Formats: sequence, structure tokens, C-alpha cells
Amino acid sequence: MSNLAKLTSIDRRWIFLLIGLGTLIPVLLPIGFPVRVTAPVKQIFDKIETFGPNDVIVLSYDYGPTTGAENDPMTDAILRHCFSHDIKVIALALYPLGGLTSLTASIDRIAAEYPNLQYGVDYVNLGYKDGGQATMKLLAEDFSGAFPNDTHGTPLSELPLMQRVKGARNAQLAISVATGIFGEWWANLINAQYGLPVAVGCTAVSAPKYYAYLEAGQMIGLIGGLKGASEYEQLVKDNYPATREAYANPMLQTASKGMDVQTIDHLIIIAFIVIGNIAYFADRRAKRA
Amino acid sequence: MFLKVRLPIMLTFFAGLIPIVAFFFVDGTPVVKKLSNSLEQDMVIVSGFALLLGVVNVVQGNVRKIEPREKGWFYAIVLLAGMAFMGLFGAAGAMRLFGLPGIGMMPDGRPTPFQWGSLYMFTPLQATMFALLAFYIASAAFRAFRIRNLEATILLVAAVFVMLGRIPIGEPLFGPITEWMMQVPNGAAQRGIIIGAALGAASLSLRVILGIERSYLGLDKNE
Repeated sequence: MSNLAKLTSIDRRWIFLLIGLGTLIPVLLPIGFPVRVTAPVKQIFDKIETFGPNDVIVLSYDYGPTTGAENDPMTDAILRHCFSHDIKVIALALYPLGGLTSLTASIDRIAAEYPNLQYGVDYVNLGYKDGGQATMKLLAEDFSGAFPNDTHGTPLSELPLMQRVKGARNAQLAISVATGIFGEWWANLINAQYGLPVAVGCTAVSAPKYYAYLEAGQMIGLIGGLKGASEYEQLVKDNYPATREAYANPMLQTASKGMDVQTIDHLIIIAFIVIGNIAYFADRRAKRA
Repeated sequence: MFLKVRLPIMLTFFAGLIPIVAFFFVDGTPVVKKLSNSLEQDMVIVSGFALLLGVVNVVQGNVRKIEPREKGWFYAIVLLAGMAFMGLFGAAGAMRLFGLPGIGMMPDGRPTPFQWGSLYMFTPLQATMFALLAFYIASAAFRAFRIRNLEATILLVAAVFVMLGRIPIGEPLFGPITEWMMQVPNGAAQRGIIIGAALGAASLSLRVILGIERSYLGLDKNE
């Protein structure tokens, strides 16, 4: 077996080491690759731009810590966009850990960047509710049917924002930042039945599935994976310069920084695929000889 | 016979029919809508009980591992201890027992025990497990993406184009190709899968609603 052919049986720990370094180095020394915005992401941004101060979006945290690296930057960017543009936000979670960790941590952190915001007037955190599709159908008609109280235990009837928005169907847009199948439910149940525009932010691995809904017009836009999140971040930074300060925080792990890691790791994987194929053909030739 | 077979089938028929009728009458038929909402609320409650079933199942499965000291029995103890910790503090917090103000943060900004476990144990563990995928995907890509035949070559080329199209370095050239691949061939295939799965789900639902499929009652078709 030639030296080249031996590469087919390379110890996978070398691959792990290179991927580890390709992840660690860009995190410690950010490169800052440029971001090009694609149409599916821009469509969501443009839709929110058309809204006024009385308009409301429903933001559903349908993911947990497993996909937080991809989904957290999406919800952060959407919240910054809404709060900068004076759009009201009703946040909730249909995924168990989405309510407790992602939603509460995210909305409190982002709202703190906007001292003029009033809880209950500008935004509401409804927390998590079990039940999946049944809960989704209930909250479409009447939020209080699924969430009698917000996450602080306050009855919805005492919150000014919830007094004027009975159900999700009365909002202007629903955005599901989702892992797995949740985004499909929003398109199938809420958009199909009530005509409420729906947008989805999903992990890169789920994105191919959602293109069918996007092309069919059942979703107004799609934020796919870390790449989509970095595009949304770029749109927010470009259109709302005040948000650049938050994104300049070196301790903040943004999608734009994550794209440095994704770029290096994708290149490493492609390099290994090329090496693997060269070694495969070398091995085949050696066997024939 | 009536209580074991006919009554459950009748209940299933009405429980299945009402949401279907309600779906097509969003603003009208308040009686149907009210019934449908009531059923959906019941479903939320029932799904809560499913959680209890899951807990019992996890306990039984892991106790069976611990008793004969099966391989990995120690991890089963860790799992049960973690579940007991989160379950007890979660339930106590939700019921406001032992002075706990809930399951989120305390008024002074410190996390409740449940929130502490969630933030500093469960969240990093879950994130770590998912992050490990990157290493295994890289290793699998190295071994699986080989130009063995036409199908494998198409798969390899598509994967490389998408990987390049989703990073800034390759995006100017491969970005439009990636978008086209996602929208056209991928979109068509996904649509076929989604429609096929939906038709399958609809036909199975109809079989259950009409009482043809009875296996969920522990019965054969002819019983």
C-alpha cells in the first residue's frame, strides 16, 4: 500500500484535532468574514420594517440549548430589530427548555439594552407550555386559553399588551425559532388556518425541509442556520447603528463570529473529502496493480 | 363489548371529527369551536400525564440496570439522581414550597435550585453533546463521501457546493448555486416527502376515526 493510499485509514483523532483547532482559533482570534444577505432572510427583515408601533409579533422559542449556538443569535437579532423599531413582542416557548433558559435569559438580556421598554406594554414573556400542536391551536384563538398567566404569574388580563391582542391570529407576524418540527406546525396550523404570516428561523440541518414551505408561500421568510442568523445580524447592524455597540462586545458570541468557525471547519471538511478521494483512488490503483 | 369497544370507538370518532370540522370554520359555528377548544385543552393536560408515564419508564429501565450491576450501571444512578434533583426542586418551585419563589430566578437575581441545575448542568451538557456532532460529521464525511458511483458522486458534489455556498469565501460563486439547489431539486424532493407523509398521516387518522384501525385499543381488526 502506497503512502497516499494509507490515508484512507487515517486515525480519526487527527480529524478531531484539526476540527478542534479550526473551532478554537477563530473563536479566540476572530477573522470577520464579510456577510452577504440572501433573499429568504431579507424578506423577514423587510416585513418587520413595514410594521408600526401598534403592531405585534409573536416570537416562539421552539428550541433548547442543543441548538442554542445557531438559534440564540436569531432570537437576539429579531428582538433587537423589534425593540429598535418599536414593535411589540409576545414571546413564548413550545419547547421545554426554550421557556426556562433560552426565552427568559434572552428576553431579559436584550430588553435591558432598551431602558425605555416597559414589560407588559412593549413585550411579554408567556413562558413555556406543554402540548405542542394543541397549545398552538389554543393560543391562536386566545392566548389565555393556553397561558392563563405570564411567566411571572401575572394574569394576562392585567397586562396592557395582552388586553389588546386576544390570540396569535390577531398579531401581525409569528416567528418560530425552531429545532425539529415546530416551524412546520406554525406553517401548517397557524398560517394555513388563520392566514397569519409565519417566518421560521431554523438550524442548518432543518433548513432544506423548510424551503418547500417557503416556495409554497406558507412562510414569508427563512433564517437558515448560523449563516441566516449572521445575515439577520448584519441587517440589524446596518439599519440600526445603535445596535452595533451591543454586537461589538467581545464577550458576546454572535452568529457573525460563529461564521468564522463555520468557514474554517467547512474548509477543513472539504479538504479531508478531497484527501479521502485521492487516497481512495490511489488505493484502488495499487490494488489493481 | 360496548364499554370495551364501541364506546371508545364512538369517543374517538367524535374527538377526531370535531377538530376537523372546526378547522374549516374558523369564525363560525361557535359550538363546534368551543368543543374543539375544550378538546385541545384536554389534550394539553393529557400530554402532561404522558410526562409522568415517561418518568415511570425511565425509573423502571434504570433500576433494572442498577440491580444486576449491568455495564454502565453507575451512569444510571447519575441519571436517576439528576432526575430526582430536577424533579423535586421543579415540583417544589412550581408549588412555591420551602420558600421557593418558582423555578426561574429569585427576586435577588440568584437562580432557584431548579434554574441552577438547568443553567449550569443541563444546558452545558446538552450543548456539549450536540457540539460533539461536528467532530463526528467531519470524520463521517471523510469516510463516506467517496466517488464510488454516480449516485455517490452527485451526493458529494451537492454537499461540497452547499458547504462552500454557506461560507463567505465560497458564497460569491457557490451561493446562487446553493440557493437554486435548495429551492428547486431539494424543494421538489421535500414537497414530495411532505405530501406523502401528510397523506399517510391523513389516511391513518381516518382509519382510527372510522374505527377501522383498532390496534390502539389492543384489538385486532375483526374484534
